[in-house]
Amino acid sequence: MQHMRLKQLRLWCLLPLFILTLMLTACGQHVGEKDVMQTERETNEITWGVKGDMRLFGLTDIETGEIRGFEVDIAKAVSKEIFGKNVKVNFVPVNSNTRLPLLKNGNVDALIATMSITADRKKEIDFSDVYFNAGQAIMVKKGSKIKSVKDLTSGTKVIGIQGSNSVLNIKKYAPKSEVLQLSDAAQAFAALKSGQGDAMTTDNGILYGLTSDDPSYHVVGGSFTTEPYGIGVNKGQKKFLTAINKALKKIEKNGEYQKLVDKWFSQISGFDGSVVK
Amino acid sequence: MISILVGHWSELIEGMKYTIASSLLALVGSLILGVIFAMFVISPNKSLNVIGKIYVEIFRNIPLLVIAMFFYIVMPRIFPGLDGFKAGTIGLTIYTSAFIAETVRAGIESVPVGQMEAARSNGMAYLQAMRYIVLPQAIKIVVPSLGNQFVNLVKNSSVLAFLAGFDLMYQGNLIASTTFKTTDTYLAVGLLYLVMTMPLSYFMRYLEKRWSKTPTV
Amino acid sequence: MSMIEFHDVNKYYGKFKALKNINLTIERGEVVTIIGPSGSGKSTLLRTINGLELISSGQLLVDNHDLADPKTDMNRIRKNVGMVFQHFNLYANKTILQNITLGPEKVLKMSHVKAAEDAERLLSLVGLLDQAQKLPSMLSGGQKQRIAIARALAMHPKAILFDEPTSALDPEVIGDVLEVMKKVADQGMTMIVVTHEMGFAKEVGNRLVFMADGEIREDSNDPRAFFEAPKDPRAQEFLGKIIHVD
Repeated sequence: MQHMRLKQLRLWCLLPLFILTLMLTACGQHVGEKDVMQTERETNEITWGVKGDMRLFGLTDIETGEIRGFEVDIAKAVSKEIFGKNVKVNFVPVNSNTRLPLLKNGNVDALIATMSITADRKKEIDFSDVYFNAGQAIMVKKGSKIKSVKDLTSGTKVIGIQGSNSVLNIKKYAPKSEVLQLSDAAQAFAALKSGQGDAMTTDNGILYGLTSDDPSYHVVGGSFTTEPYGIGVNKGQKKFLTAINKALKKIEKNGEYQKLVDKWFSQISGFDGSVVK
Repeated sequence: MISILVGHWSELIEGMKYTIASSLLALVGSLILGVIFAMFVISPNKSLNVIGKIYVEIFRNIPLLVIAMFFYIVMPRIFPGLDGFKAGTIGLTIYTSAFIAETVRAGIESVPVGQMEAARSNGMAYLQAMRYIVLPQAIKIVVPSLGNQFVNLVKNSSVLAFLAGFDLMYQGNLIASTTFKTTDTYLAVGLLYLVMTMPLSYFMRYLEKRWSKTPTV
Repeated sequence: MSMIEFHDVNKYYGKFKALKNINLTIERGEVVTIIGPSGSGKSTLLRTINGLELISSGQLLVDNHDLADPKTDMNRIRKNVGMVFQHFNLYANKTILQNITLGPEKVLKMSHVKAAEDAERLLSLVGLLDQAQKLPSMLSGGQKQRIAIARALAMHPKAILFDEPTSALDPEVIGDVLEVMKKVADQGMTMIVVTHEMGFAKEVGNRLVFMADGEIREDSNDPRAFFEAPKDPRAQEFLGKIIHVD
């Protein structure tokens, strides 16, 4: 009797684990293997994964629910170049954890979501040419004595985002500075504002977004690493990728790219022109 | 898990030092504040009474993280130098003190009124009567629930991790995010919390037993 | 200079009148017993004398201090006026010795040695010297009450209030407590005793106050005469209900 009950108990304990496993395997399945170029032509619709919480790049307007930003505009321009003016362009908000599964499952056709081109990611997906020369930078309050990462000497404190590569990088570039790690960019910026640190470090794109929110802070010294952003598509979508690269070149040539850069970044103090192509 | 414990021993020990320091400071601080505000709450003085009740209700009903964040993000504008460790410890102290105040208040109210009347009739001032007669009995009554509060306090000190307070949880987060051995890291961190809280639990139980046999506190 | 003076004192609890127009003057060295049916205001009257209850109107002078005056230091009054409770109220967290020495040490700032010497003398007086190191919870009711009297005496008060000191005791130990109270009376202590012990009122008391409905109905300097022929009808009724008066 006792034995039976124990056995039953064990089975019940295993149930949630079983469900979890099922869910995880489901996530791993590759659904997006159809040729995007063909299906989009048929439906005249394309879906992009973009950031929904990132100022300047992709930020959801709370009132309209519309996502707006530099990446959103690039995506629209690229879509129109490939599929014509009347294509319906959809946007799905993604974050760093969800973007790869969403692409692989076919929920989105392409990702333009502040994603750096890295060797690890290249194993999973394909990347377009660079559309934004992102890199790590530091941001300080205007008037600060710190002008570049070299000024982060001993006695200074630099705020980073917990678990990010940028924290490991800053330990290399400013080994004497004390690193304080906070859980996300918003908290890190709040900590910087309340004087918990002398500078904040992360991707320059994120920092520009923050300075657009509070212009009493600016990015200084340019970026000291190179982590360029590219558009991500599923492997096996060679035609689609080629079309994207062609479109990127086209909008660069016809001046539309520069117009979008100006639209989003011209007001940003400390904006470094070298980050765009 | 062993490899995490061995490979990151110095960071983990460093984290434990901060956790223990923060917990000890908050333990003493919250006990003092808790007793003071418990006395405010039962005070016959109307304004002290109101202050005490507001304090307890506010800090008991706001998440610890919010209180700690307030001291980390907002207060440094008035008091510069309030870093993650200090802000977290202050937040922890205040948050815990609200619960201790409630516990101690209940303890004081469970001491028969006659004890206070006898002490006052004996010529003692209100505070003397509290100090020598009522509080010692009240604290003795609430030792078991104080023990729970203290164990919770040690665990809650992990709020420092959100404020870059260098505690055990913070170090754990960093180790997990650099090694990607998330499960092992948090198992190791959990074990080290256990190493800190278990002796505390046993100590409080020991006090409970001892005090039930002895007259004075 | 009288020890305690009530002048037209009233005490209300909301609309309920607990004390009505009390006029009473107690001289030093008097042993006053207050009797009356329950709810007559005896205990309330007693508790106003050391400020455990505040009066609503009138004037109450204790040792020449006006209790209604905010400048009056109640702690000083209480230092000079001891109290013994129905339920003893010994300090549960202190030993018998500490129960007696705490007041002198903390209030009178007496040295520990002196306070302990005093306490031992008092413990012999009440016949409980061998219990000094015990906790109150280990003593019987009668013993506790004798300790409570010793605790009051240790402050060298000018008067002691007794609030039904034998009501919570088993009949066989009441005698021990009354005996101690008689010793205290014999030393010339001013005592105000709310009691149901008619024997004590008659034998030891040199003044008797009968209360009913918050009023003083009879105030007699000859307790024996009162018990033989009470004048007030309520007192007659009250005494009639008491089965045996010795």
